[in-house]
Amino acid sequence: MNKLLLLLLMLLTGISSFSQSSYSVDKIPASLKINANSVIRDMETTVEMKGIDQVLISVKKVVTVWNKNGDARAELALHYDKSTSIQRIKGQMLNAFGVLTYKFSQSDFSDESAVSNGSLYVDYRLKYYVPRVFSYPYTIVYEYELRNKQNLILPDWYPNPHPDQSVESNKYVFITKPEDEIRIKENNYPGKAEVLRTEKTKSYTWQLSNQSAMKKEPFAPDPDDYKTSIKIAAKQFSYYGYKGSYQNWEALGKWVYDDLIKNRQQLPESTIQEVKAMVSGINDDREKAKKIYEYVQKKTRYISVQIGIGGFQPMPAAEVQQLAYGDCKALVNYTQTLLKSVGIPSLYCVVNAGSARKDIDLDFASMDQGNHIILAVPLKTDTVWLECTSSESPFGFLGDFTEDRTVFACTPDGGKILRTPKLTTEMNLQRRKASLNIDTLGNITGSLKTIYSGAQYDHDNNLIDLPVSDQLKRLKSSYDIDHISFSDFKISQDKSDTPSTSAAFSFDIQKYAARNQQLFYLELNLFNKSSVVPEVKNRTLKVYINRGYTDEDELTYLLPKDFKLEALPKNKHINSAFGSYSATILLEGRTLIYKRKMILKDGTYPAEQYQDFSTFINDINAADHSRVIYKL
Amino acid sequence: MKSLLCFALLLLAGLPIYAQDFSFAGITHEEIELKNTVIDSNANAIVLREFGTASMEQSPGDGRLVIAYRYHVRLKIFNKQGYEQANISIPQRIYNDVPDQLSELKAVTINYTEGQFKQSQLDPKKVFNEKVSKYTANTKFTLPNIMDGSIIEYSYTLHIPYIFNFKSWNFQADIPKLHSQYIASIPALYNYNVVLRGVLKLKDTKAELSKECLRINGTQIDCSKMTYTMENIPAFIEEEHMTAPTNFISAIYFELSDYAMLSGGKVNVTKTWKNVDNELTSDRSFGAQMKKKDAFKELMPEILKNTTDDLSKAQAIYNYIAKNIKSNGYIGIYSETAVKKALESHSGNTGDINLALISAFSAADLDAEALILSTRNNGELNKLFPVISNFNYVVVKLNIGEKSYLLDASVPLLPFGMLPLHCMNGQGRVINLKKPSYWYDISSGQKDYIRYNLTATLAKDGKIKGQLVTYSTGYSAFQKRKGIESAGTIAEYVEKLDEKMPKISITNHEISNVDSVNLPLVEKYELLIDSYDGDGLAQIFFNPFFIDRILKNPFNLSERTYPVDLGTASERRVTIILNVPEDYTMSDQPKDMSIGLPDNGGRYLTSTNFSDHTISFSQFLQLNKPIYDPSEYFSLKEFYSQIIQNQKTDIILKKAK
Repeated sequence: MNKLLLLLLMLLTGISSFSQSSYSVDKIPASLKINANSVIRDMETTVEMKGIDQVLISVKKVVTVWNKNGDARAELALHYDKSTSIQRIKGQMLNAFGVLTYKFSQSDFSDESAVSNGSLYVDYRLKYYVPRVFSYPYTIVYEYELRNKQNLILPDWYPNPHPDQSVESNKYVFITKPEDEIRIKENNYPGKAEVLRTEKTKSYTWQLSNQSAMKKEPFAPDPDDYKTSIKIAAKQFSYYGYKGSYQNWEALGKWVYDDLIKNRQQLPESTIQEVKAMVSGINDDREKAKKIYEYVQKKTRYISVQIGIGGFQPMPAAEVQQLAYGDCKALVNYTQTLLKSVGIPSLYCVVNAGSARKDIDLDFASMDQGNHIILAVPLKTDTVWLECTSSESPFGFLGDFTEDRTVFACTPDGGKILRTPKLTTEMNLQRRKASLNIDTLGNITGSLKTIYSGAQYDHDNNLIDLPVSDQLKRLKSSYDIDHISFSDFKISQDKSDTPSTSAAFSFDIQKYAARNQQLFYLELNLFNKSSVVPEVKNRTLKVYINRGYTDEDELTYLLPKDFKLEALPKNKHINSAFGSYSATILLEGRTLIYKRKMILKDGTYPAEQYQDFSTFINDINAADHSRVIYKL
Repeated sequence: MKSLLCFALLLLAGLPIYAQDFSFAGITHEEIELKNTVIDSNANAIVLREFGTASMEQSPGDGRLVIAYRYHVRLKIFNKQGYEQANISIPQRIYNDVPDQLSELKAVTINYTEGQFKQSQLDPKKVFNEKVSKYTANTKFTLPNIMDGSIIEYSYTLHIPYIFNFKSWNFQADIPKLHSQYIASIPALYNYNVVLRGVLKLKDTKAELSKECLRINGTQIDCSKMTYTMENIPAFIEEEHMTAPTNFISAIYFELSDYAMLSGGKVNVTKTWKNVDNELTSDRSFGAQMKKKDAFKELMPEILKNTTDDLSKAQAIYNYIAKNIKSNGYIGIYSETAVKKALESHSGNTGDINLALISAFSAADLDAEALILSTRNNGELNKLFPVISNFNYVVVKLNIGEKSYLLDASVPLLPFGMLPLHCMNGQGRVINLKKPSYWYDISSGQKDYIRYNLTATLAKDGKIKGQLVTYSTGYSAFQKRKGIESAGTIAEYVEKLDEKMPKISITNHEISNVDSVNLPLVEKYELLIDSYDGDGLAQIFFNPFFIDRILKNPFNLSERTYPVDLGTASERRVTIILNVPEDYTMSDQPKDMSIGLPDNGGRYLTSTNFSDHTISFSQFLQLNKPIYDPSEYFSLKEFYSQIIQNQKTDIILKKAK
């Protein structure tokens, strides 16, 4: 009996190994192994929009992992919430021969809250799985199905999301009813979707095959510039019980305003009177808006809570008035309501915030392109932009978080695409002056003042309002020079139309000029050395510099009496397509003036110029270390 | 009249223990006036009063004993930086799907503006329950109307179903506290060991007998009521090179040691090491897993093939286990899935892997013991009495002749006899199947060591061509091996290295002993260095410290409160032999140095010589201790400062006329 069972088992495993061996790793073409830590062997995502509140997503995903660096690609994390449920998950681990090692199911997934550090509470959760790994290479197979009760946000398709992962085959099938109207954005897709019609369905299929992995390259452009993706939006939609239709930004903006914002803009009469009293006597709309913005900054703080429709709908203005907190939507809506109460119109704008700029897509309207809300106040001559979540931002200043990109305004007349103003290379200025006295032992005492503006405005923001002891501690980490100590730190901010921050301190540095027998070595550029960039060979992507800046340093040294010069570095001038650099030294008597100016221009440059770029930056780094050598 | 007074007193005595709590939202004028000049002028917020009680109660539902914990706090926010103190998170643990029960939550913001108190109550609808994972949940809320000078206050009750760890109390937090008081009321049936951690002193401790405080199945039980009070508590600030903050935060901990049963008799939960030894060695997930010889009997001949002595046997077994059971990422002293199963599934936690190693050693008749410890993140161990839950890691102590080796097969790429850095935390307890347990010093087993030898020639055009050979052992070798592993191939590892150094290119390389982890990692690089531009210069400056240069002083603080814990001793040696063009002579050089740290804590030496057109340069840096006292901090700072000074200076070559 036992023997029979054993035989049966062997047969069964034999069968399963036979059926799985199609995922044996030796079937992977050699070209897909180069630079790859993992390979998408076979992936198929089928999205079926059965109705506006019923979207089924079923996925099969087979990934082979070559080494430890690929392990993360074998993990699976699925988000769910009240509108998304996980119907089933199962999976298998296969060895290098494609033979089953073990199986797993939903109960093996851990279930966690997805509240991130920035939020107090959000209602979505995630289930995730980290496979047990015994040996490399291995192959993991996932099959799962999700059900969405909404179709406002349909899954995007990014067939080769990771540079270190190659793709053998990845397929996306989208199925609708023939009468459903959808819009499709094909980004860098080679070819056309295959469309199949039956009586009851219409399906679109996209497929990407045999894509090699690539090395990660520094200073690379936005992946959307060169990677394939498909985005889909349905005309008729449903979301947490809200229904609507749109095919362009205009209609979507109209819906957002009418259904999500309009009825959130009531304030108690007492508040309206208070605000009116506050601006009475001011005639200029700009000044009124400024007064109100400062009132909001003083009164409120940023707290993020996202539940259901609350991910898109702001908290009522009256509630912000009462609680004195809110997230970006709530604070923008509140500010907008206050402005409205004194007759100043403004625009609620959806933006993709982040230091790396990203536009709202002009040609393709969809609900999930932004992650932040800002407020635009159109005045007679210009438009003032307000960041409402910051209690410190100057009136009308956006900073590098949201500058220079298209945004989507939701207004009573429908959606509009606007562009936030750019902070240019010339505006992003850091101007520093320092005077330094060197004594006969090489000790330095001195003082320094720096003015930051443009995107550099908030350079020292984390120092403001800190206790003195903490300020000094942090200065030590930004100016990490051995034996430096600081005193008289002062920081002030000019919050006018061209805001700037001014930071000044006195310092002393014991034995900065190092002594060696007879000679003293003095490195002239104390505070602003540029770092090196790697010298990548065979660059494939364009070179992208996200933001330009200009740095000007002027350091005036008073050298010790009776010093005798041993060596003086040459002046250095470098000009390049990427910017320019100059370092000059002027010595008159005991006074040595070191001037450094560096300009890095933002922009996109051809891949062939990467070598020039790294040479430019690395030459600057070398020049930044030049030294004066003297005797006493 | 007199009897009435007496009655009133009795009533008071009979009141529940939280009677000493301060009144909710009963703000005093001093509290309104209070500025952030008390205790610490750097404070963004301060706890004005904090009061907690913990006692045992019978759960009304199932009659089981639970700990009832009541917490009440009032704090003041001085400025914007302190606003985050208004975001409250109350963590609850979940034991076997039963979470701590939170009740009676209330919270309020009190602002004093224009001569008036204004209270803003927390809306219960704005309280969120977040199930974080299988084991923890959070109740979260934020208080409304926060402004500079706001006073916030909240209180709640937690019913905790797990009585083994009586609720601990943190006196110290990230903001200072004026007054913190905790009352633990412990039924006489239960006996807890009490530990006060941290350097701060209690202002007051009081122990009273509280009669008939608990009734279990009709029996009245007395309690001992302990009151702990601390005042003017500074904020806790974390520093670099420090083990777990819980080692230093002032707090009080309770661990159940024994309890009496109502039916008579006493159950020792944790008392003596003898008890612990017995429990551990007979535990199915511990001692039993050290005895799984059978699992290895059949495998042994294959594993021990080609081995000669005990040491080579041990190494073969260690390699076998390390290769065949991979860590599933979980740590612990107990075996999670049992040795046999771990061996079959090739996966297990630290307990599975290292207890399997002990079993395998005994199958080969080698003498191995278990060493249980607390990792650096987990905190220091209490040596006074055994607190088994404080141990969170197990490694192997193998004895061959007079020599002992500490082994951890759960971390790949470690050489035989070396423990990972996270184990370097003082002492551990050795558990032997037959003998009593004992404390044992944990040391890494291998010094962190790198030696660099550069032999090169400087050409007239400023190009240096030569060969750099480095030998690494200890954590440096471990880190480099991990680096090579994550780069994928040696070629890619070297390419990345090359890309990072703009003026140096690696023209050829050879790295050996990558897989032979017991041998030093040897890297050989052919280098081409651009040292300067121009031909036939009158003077050439050459900085010999470009290898392994110390750019920043790692000890740059102006004051230091806690020990500097580097984990391990280390040593670096650099030797350079550089041939220079014949028409140059050395005119200046960095000072030859020989400095040391007090108490033989470390040494730094350099020397430069010139003869036969050849510069011979050497540098030696040694740190002998894994841990330095706060009092030694400034010696370390000055020691590094002198090194940095010296490294700024050059060798100067002058052209002969």
